[in-house]
Amino acid sequence: MADLTQMERKFNYQAVWILAKREVMEYLRSKPRVISSLAQGFLFLLIFSAGFAIIRINIQGVAIDSRAFIASGIAAIMILFTGIFGGMGVMRDKMFGFMKELIVAPVSRKTLMMGKTLGVGLQTLIQVEIIVSLSAVLGFFGYDISLIWRMLLIIPVAFLASIGIVGIGLTISTRIRDFQSFGLIQTFIVMPMFWFSGALFAFNNVPFFMQVIMMCNPFTYSVDLFRAVLLNVSFFPVWLDLLVMIMFGTIFILIGARSFSKMEIS
Amino acid sequence: MTENIIEVKNLTKIYEEGNVLAVDNISFNIKRGEIFALLGPNGAGKTTTISILATLLFPTEGTAIVNNFDVQKNPDYVRRSIGIVFQEPSLDSEMKGVENLEIHAVLYGMSKNKRRKKIKEVLKLVDLEDKASAFVKNYSGGMKRRLEIARGLLHEPHILFLDEPTLGLDPQTRRKIWEKIMELNKELNITILITTHYMEEADELADRICIMDHGKIIALDSSENLKKQISGDIIDIQFEKFEDKTRIPMLITQLRELPGIKNLTFGSLKDLTDEIPASLNLPKNIPNVNPEMIKARVREIISDPNKLIAAWKKYPMASQMFLNAPLEMKKRVANLFTDDQLNQIPEEIKDEIVKIRQGEITELENETEPIISISCENGGKSLPQIIQKINNNNLIIKTVNMHQPKLEDVFLHFVGRAIREESSNRSKNIKQFIQMRQLRK
Repeated sequence: MADLTQMERKFNYQAVWILAKREVMEYLRSKPRVISSLAQGFLFLLIFSAGFAIIRINIQGVAIDSRAFIASGIAAIMILFTGIFGGMGVMRDKMFGFMKELIVAPVSRKTLMMGKTLGVGLQTLIQVEIIVSLSAVLGFFGYDISLIWRMLLIIPVAFLASIGIVGIGLTISTRIRDFQSFGLIQTFIVMPMFWFSGALFAFNNVPFFMQVIMMCNPFTYSVDLFRAVLLNVSFFPVWLDLLVMIMFGTIFILIGARSFSKMEIS
Repeated sequence: MTENIIEVKNLTKIYEEGNVLAVDNISFNIKRGEIFALLGPNGAGKTTTISILATLLFPTEGTAIVNNFDVQKNPDYVRRSIGIVFQEPSLDSEMKGVENLEIHAVLYGMSKNKRRKKIKEVLKLVDLEDKASAFVKNYSGGMKRRLEIARGLLHEPHILFLDEPTLGLDPQTRRKIWEKIMELNKELNITILITTHYMEEADELADRICIMDHGKIIALDSSENLKKQISGDIIDIQFEKFEDKTRIPMLITQLRELPGIKNLTFGSLKDLTDEIPASLNLPKNIPNVNPEMIKARVREIISDPNKLIAAWKKYPMASQMFLNAPLEMKKRVANLFTDDQLNQIPEEIKDEIVKIRQGEITELENETEPIISISCENGGKSLPQIIQKINNNNLIIKTVNMHQPKLEDVFLHFVGRAIREESSNRSKNIKQFIQMRQLRK
């Protein structure tokens, strides 16, 4: 009996780590996923930065290179795409039976969920850094020594942004029962959050009603903070961005945790 | 350390969503070091029972103690005491075999050195050492199963739960897995709880077999004893002359007095039971009902008066079947009952039987040689005595056929109701049961 209690203490972080590691390893190993996320980034960067090149963007009197503007927005958007569908990996585990193995293990659901969140968070970081470094190499952000610490600073920001998103993914995936619902999620959650986040256009260039919708979208603030870090300009004050992100992250990760611990596996 | 490693008491599980009473107030104990088989048809409640013992589901009522821990109060300790191989594969197929084991070991809190040592050990045990670094998606079905068994053993559990471990595997692989299971049991002294619906699997492996159906335990004993319960041998005797028919009832009363005789039926058994399923209108939505199983079941019921009465009382279909049956069959059935039993029979059938017995209903009798069918504990012992009696009566035997009940018959004896038309009835009862419980709260 003694050995049983001993095991309990030093235990959880190791479990969290191996679950996160599994998540990242599976991502890196699956060539289609790596290739498609790279190609997607390229495509977005090329098309949007070329297409929007003429548009003048002016934030608080500062003229901004539209390519840099778009690139930072797309980096943020990667979090949205990877985060939600990564969170929905729970669904895959459920369908292929591995979730049973996890649930019957002597670790709490919280541990399992933390492992998942960390894993998906790391995955999104990889994606974000790919986009950011690509754009940096292409010269979108200009060649500046400060870019190095900006790119490092973006890591905690991206991680913070991904938490709430993964929470949404977890919540959804514990409740739906088949892959068919993926299209639904794409149409009604991912796309609206994408288009109304201001990743592709400037907040002050759109009509008032759009501004209202954008202000209601929590992801707008993540995009804004990305710009604050990468371009040193933002529509909202940084403290507001941080506050919204923390609140959004906390609320959705709690909801995700709740539905995760209530999840029934037959 | 008590002798029983698993103690289940009055366990009940209701899935409120579908009004399904999956496990109905069952109790049993499993001794340390034994192989215990839960046998039953699909939907009998085996997997639910195992899920409760594995803390995947909470019981609606009752308690279950696993390795001295209550599944509800100390689920984590229970989880460390057990290893599970699920009915469906539960491996991460995008990972390598060894990585699957690694994750498991970490989740169960094993230190790095121990992990390395144990993984090597279990891989050797299931003969997967050379395949360990291949991706699981490239494994064959049997390899996946073996890897799962290895994983179940990794944290040195006291008990291993195997939920239909050989489902969908070829005979060689099944044999191999059986060997592994027995090896584990003998060498590592691990208690094994196995569910299956293969009779021969339970027969081969288990020290004790628990037959479940409709969430209830129908029988629990060693395989040997279970087989004995359904009677040892069946002897069919066919007589030479048709005219002897009149003298056979007298012979039957004499034979009944012999020791070891369990049951006696008179008539041309084979023809009749072949006829029955043809006249049955089976509901169309029953999947995979083997006609042979139904025949065996009907044969089984019509040779036991008590079961017949129960069937008539419970299922309108059964009484309809009797009323529509050919006369010869009715006669045979009618002669089964003692006066006492006659009173328990539902009214309409009773009338018919009384009429038949009094000879009010007649038909042209077809001229087949009379056959009697005797089921007895030990055919070898009883047969000489039976023949002696027949000779005393100056009857001439044409053929004698002695055979053992098949394994399938044992199973069917306990669970066989292949036609489960009572399900609608049951769900009504369960609804009531749930309502009652809610009221009590």
